[in-house]
Amino acid sequence: MHRIRYLVGSLVLLAAVLGAVWLVRLLQNLDARPGVPLQIEFHDARGLRAGADVRFRGVTVGTVRAVTVAADGEKAVASVLLEPGGAAQACVNSVFWIVTPRFGGLAGGASGLDTLVRDAYLAFATPAQRGSPLTGGSLLTGWERPPAPAEADALAAVEHGDLLMTLLVPENHGLRPGSPVTFRGLQTGEVRGIALAQQGTHVEVQLRIARRHRHTVTDQCAFWVARPALTGALFSGFTLTDVTALLSPFVAYQGEPGKGLPVRDGHRAAALASRPVEEPTAVPAAALLQPERPAEPPAPDLVLVRIVYAAVDHDFWSPDDPIHHEGTGVLFQDRAGRIVVATARSLVDGAYSETETFGSQPDIEQEQIQVMLPAGTVLRGARVWVHAGGRDLAALVLDEVPPDLLGTPADKLGFGGGEIGPDAQVRRVGADAAPAPPVALGGRELPQLAENLGGAVVVAGMVVGVYGRATAHADAPAVVPLDLLPEDLRPR
Amino acid sequence: MTTVATALEFRDFGLAHDRPGGAVQLFVGASFALAQHGFYLFCGRSGGGKSSLLRVLAGLVDPREPAPIRSGELLAWGEPVTGGRRDALRLRTAAILQDEGLLDELSPRANVELALRAAGRSVRLAPGLLALAGIPEPGPSVAELSGGMRKRVAVARALASEPRLLLCDEPTAGLDETAARQIALLLRSTHDAERTRTTIVTTHDFDAFAALADGVMVLDPADRTLRLEGPGWREPPGAGLAAGPAPAGEPAVAHGVRRALLQLGAAAATCGEALRRLPPVELAVTARTVARFCVEPALFVGACGAVVGGLATFFALRNNPVQGGFESALLSGTGKVAVAVLVPLLCGFFFTARIGAGAAARLGTMQRTNQIAALQMLGIRPADYLLTPLVWGMVIGMPVATLVGVVAAAGAAWLAASGASGFTTTGWANAFFAAVTAGDLLAVLGKAALSGLLVALCSYHVGTGPKPSGAAVGAAVDEAIVRGMAIVLAVHALGTFWAYA
Repeated sequence: MHRIRYLVGSLVLLAAVLGAVWLVRLLQNLDARPGVPLQIEFHDARGLRAGADVRFRGVTVGTVRAVTVAADGEKAVASVLLEPGGAAQACVNSVFWIVTPRFGGLAGGASGLDTLVRDAYLAFATPAQRGSPLTGGSLLTGWERPPAPAEADALAAVEHGDLLMTLLVPENHGLRPGSPVTFRGLQTGEVRGIALAQQGTHVEVQLRIARRHRHTVTDQCAFWVARPALTGALFSGFTLTDVTALLSPFVAYQGEPGKGLPVRDGHRAAALASRPVEEPTAVPAAALLQPERPAEPPAPDLVLVRIVYAAVDHDFWSPDDPIHHEGTGVLFQDRAGRIVVATARSLVDGAYSETETFGSQPDIEQEQIQVMLPAGTVLRGARVWVHAGGRDLAALVLDEVPPDLLGTPADKLGFGGGEIGPDAQVRRVGADAAPAPPVALGGRELPQLAENLGGAVVVAGMVVGVYGRATAHADAPAVVPLDLLPEDLRPR
Repeated sequence: MTTVATALEFRDFGLAHDRPGGAVQLFVGASFALAQHGFYLFCGRSGGGKSSLLRVLAGLVDPREPAPIRSGELLAWGEPVTGGRRDALRLRTAAILQDEGLLDELSPRANVELALRAAGRSVRLAPGLLALAGIPEPGPSVAELSGGMRKRVAVARALASEPRLLLCDEPTAGLDETAARQIALLLRSTHDAERTRTTIVTTHDFDAFAALADGVMVLDPADRTLRLEGPGWREPPGAGLAAGPAPAGEPAVAHGVRRALLQLGAAAATCGEALRRLPPVELAVTARTVARFCVEPALFVGACGAVVGGLATFFALRNNPVQGGFESALLSGTGKVAVAVLVPLLCGFFFTARIGAGAAARLGTMQRTNQIAALQMLGIRPADYLLTPLVWGMVIGMPVATLVGVVAAAGAAWLAASGASGFTTTGWANAFFAAVTAGDLLAVLGKAALSGLLVALCSYHVGTGPKPSGAAVGAAVDEAIVRGMAIVLAVHALGTFWAYA
């Protein structure tokens, strides 16, 4: 018993001695581990401590081994050991800085806030044009403040269908890449780049609006750079707006629903000098209604597009009337390979839909037809054909079509006419060009035209017509058969 | 006719116990002489003072107890006996005490050799002495010997120093008739072999010593006298009871204060003794003790360190109030407090509970079974044989145990840190030892060595205190643990405060 106890004790003692040796060697050889030792000079180490992380793109790739003051007392020197993985990313032109909480003023915003609850750490970034790799023992000069997050890679990648546009502002007002772009107070995109115009007359701000919000941007939208503003008068009271912009300015825009055309990529807009006086429109009464349980959007076998038509009805006796129509169209490829959209003529032709008081022909000017594809891209449509017999059917042809755009397959288009049975339905798209729940046609009364104008009438999975007016000036809906289309506009 | 030389001479000699409330007179007015080369029996009622007189003769007076009060004069070979360390009587006396006082951890031969060495004689005489006493060689260890054999070993050891006065306290107690007679014959035969030796045997067993004694010293409790009778004297049946306390003496409170002062003095004496006897004389014993104290508690303190280090780290990282924040700072703090304060303190506790208590138990048993008195009789300072090894063992063993604990704590903390928060080995080492300096390690070792020294002194002092009963040994172990832990706590608290505040 005694012997076993002594044996165990001796083994433990031996293990402790070996453990102590291991610890001492570990602590002694921390510098000799594989990796690249570096020294980085700072004016101010900002509380960086030995043992802090070195991070590249947020990943820990090394350790701060020691932080000392240089012999001349002019600099603080951080001794760093980069692990082999991190060393591969460090080049002679890499930028090292210490991440601590920083408040960059009203315009600069705050950064490094994670280090409020974490140790300060060292971060580095390597520009896209990489220099030669760093070698061990290099002495670098660190940056006293983090580099501006101007690198495009700091921003979210541009998705297919996102709107890229340029906003022209008289002055930058502290916008930075990454500053938000908001619509009704909701972020819909961000600033991607800022540049001074060539002549120095204004600043060009590149914006990205996310695909699912791009329908909120029209050519009628008012843009401005949000800054805190105090408005009002002594007797009427003051209003303080955009207080949140105190820390980080942002771009805001607003627009009336049902006004303006969707904009195409590369759109340029001039910003207002300040927030427009009028407030955004109130919540529409229809939105208060309990929404019906939306049906499942149908499988995307048909290619439906959103069509926005804008024009001005020039009137001799009265002020000009703006015309604004929105609706759906069926997109397919005709036998010549053109991209054709079949839709209701009343949607895309003011001369057809408008009536004059004295029965004269309406004087339509400034016609614009914008077609928003399911992917979010906005293209201009040209009205190439209308039904000569006065039926509510027209065909648009799109230009500058993306090469990978697919149309509705030919076997889904029925040119032989079809019985409008109980399973017939109108398929349409929403304001963002995404498919909306279909509306059944089988009831006693046909559904309202308003939202369904130009919708595809589908029977047994086949498009047999478009939903339009029964006659040119009537509000009664009707199914206009597709076989009214001329042969050359039909698919092969 | 040659004059018979006198070995001991009592001149109106008296002895009294110093008890609270007054002295208890054992006997007064003893006046007689014991001849050199006389073989005397010494009898009297139990508790009558036989052992007290024997202890006075052997010089075995506990410094922590009030010494017996003497009166009259006692001469040994013509010189007065004062009870001092260099007393003529003390240097020439050997005693076979009750329970023999053999060192249980040694063999019979080593016991004899120890006595030979202490007397400055060659250890080669040991086999002769053992043969003389009738001990077979190589025999079993002392712990396995029968009562008769133990007495024989004790005789052989007592003879090793060639004493001129041999005192035997109840050498035949607990033996059967035959064995008792054999021991008596052995005592007489060894007595006869040395012409200058005087032997005094305390006994009630007149049959065993029939026709062997030259005279009988009689301690009569009835009239409180000590007298010398002829060899034919026999104890009368129904002798009187022990005398009641004499009215003389100091009040109980003063007695208590004096006892307390004696205790303090004894504690101071232990400390002084430890410093004076610090250079090890018994090298082998010291080396063995050091090795034992390093190895024995290793598993215990290793487990303690691992549990403390591992749990502290795990809890600190798991119950981090700043979710996931400041983890390296948290680990640095945990490392510092574990390495510099917590683990050393708990290792000190464990070491004290394991080693300090063990030492007190062993010393208490040695005291109880007269082994320490026997060492004193052999002329070996108990401090050399027991205290110095204990001090070295603990002064070295406690820091070693602490290091074992710290290493185990670090290992467990490494596992906990990588398990709880995914620290890499380098990251953990960087953070855990970030705040630990060489100064911390020195402070830890200093605290451990100092508490080792103090716990050694405490265990020794408590262990070698008077042990009137077996329960006193148990009480001493309790006391050693409580006091030892208090010492460790105080040293660590003060040491940490001093080092860091």
